[in-house]
Amino acid sequence: MRWLPFELHTHTPHSDGTHTLFEMCMKARELGLSGIALTDHNTTSGMADAAAVTEETGISIIPGLEWTTFYGHMLTLGVPYSEWRDLGPSDIHKGINRVHEQGGIVGIAHPFSLGSPICTGCHWEYVVEDWNDIDYMEVWHETLPPMRNHNAPAFEQWTSLLNQGYRISATAGRDWHRSSEEDDLPAYTYLGLENEEGMPNTESVVNAISSGRICVSMGPRLELQVERGVNRYGIGDIVEVGTPGENGNCEMTVRVIPSHHPDRQLETDEQGLMIIIESNLGELTRYSLAEEQDEIQYSFRADGLLWMRVRLYGMLNGALSTLAFTNPVYFKEAIH
Amino acid sequence: MRELLTVAGKLTPLSSKTHITYQLYIPEGINALHIEFEYGPKTLDDRDDSKQMIEEAIRKYVNPALQNVYLEHWEKFHPLQNLLTLSVDDPDGFRGSAHRHPNHQQHILSRHESSPGFFSGPIRNGVWKVTISVHCIVTQECEYQLRIREGEVDHEMASV
Repeated sequence: MRWLPFELHTHTPHSDGTHTLFEMCMKARELGLSGIALTDHNTTSGMADAAAVTEETGISIIPGLEWTTFYGHMLTLGVPYSEWRDLGPSDIHKGINRVHEQGGIVGIAHPFSLGSPICTGCHWEYVVEDWNDIDYMEVWHETLPPMRNHNAPAFEQWTSLLNQGYRISATAGRDWHRSSEEDDLPAYTYLGLENEEGMPNTESVVNAISSGRICVSMGPRLELQVERGVNRYGIGDIVEVGTPGENGNCEMTVRVIPSHHPDRQLETDEQGLMIIIESNLGELTRYSLAEEQDEIQYSFRADGLLWMRVRLYGMLNGALSTLAFTNPVYFKEAIH
Repeated sequence: MRELLTVAGKLTPLSSKTHITYQLYIPEGINALHIEFEYGPKTLDDRDDSKQMIEEAIRKYVNPALQNVYLEHWEKFHPLQNLLTLSVDDPDGFRGSAHRHPNHQQHILSRHESSPGFFSGPIRNGVWKVTISVHCIVTQECEYQLRIREGEVDHEMASV
């Protein structure tokens, strides 16, 4: 598995962005990104330049689109245009099927942004009948996402859906329209890609997101491994546990891998860094990381667990904040 | 420069969240389409109306605990804007869209060169559709004009 940082929500002059694809990818390289998803509003015409830009900048460009509708903005990845102009507020599943049938995935963009008339269609107002149809949610939106008001309810909604047993991935998206030297830092969406060599391709990116192999971060990457008996599981995997009463002992290892990018070094103060392990049963435990410590071990029983994720907490721009979080490891009772 | 379509219309806030589609036959022998689209006014400048609509949106969309902070800074969202966007379908299907904010736009579509947002390709004869998506009208009235003419571009683009 290869973990690479992506930016999954971007715009160019093919919709209302002001930097060209080339300018954006040059900037992406400076930011330490490996790839972007091009998600212009309601068109994929910007992909015409993608191969040439990738060759020149080394940045992978994954085809996507931001469905910019009256009742919500939905990101699609891995497919060309699909029709949105005939859908009412209760027709979202019809639209999602059009994307899924072509092998693409869908994600709700900035679900709790202000809606019309302040930002037309920006607040998610579609009726979702079945959350299994939603592949991912952009729970961190814009730059410095852990500090933005509208991301708190998005993160809460994601957590509540996980608690209800849905396996939905969570991503960050800068909603990148322009670049300047004064910009605050956006987050990285680290994706666990199966192709070990060469440029990340569309299939492996779509697969990583739909499988939940994701760590969202302002800098460091969190690595997580669960051991149960002889089996090992990582982020996004489903841990098969025994029926109640069987031996459900598990061991979790969490590692913090610092970013190599100079702008992404962590501020540390006397508070240090905190690793928080949380689940559908609430917070399970927390560890203060001693200086130079980058790994913790946690033993637990899987009884009653649907999912577990890890959050890194510490100083960001002078305030205590979530710095990174993993997508969950899921748990499922084995069928005998 | 043949005229192919000239239409105009008047919208009100009730037109928000609707699509207006014009279907037209494009005859054989056209090398490029030139689309000119404008609407106005762009902004709602009346402060009292604006304040009322912004407050309503804040009450609808913001967490109650934070509403007062947003309400104090309502002017951050002033002036509100009308937003109309254009998309085009040729006889084979979706040909592109221009989701952007200026209220006066010109687009070219041709075999080798098209404005950002649109795909290049032949200008086939047949029934084309041009759709105005009315995302939001905040002013009491908003007038639009759409004009499609035979265009002039059809040269090979310099190779990339």
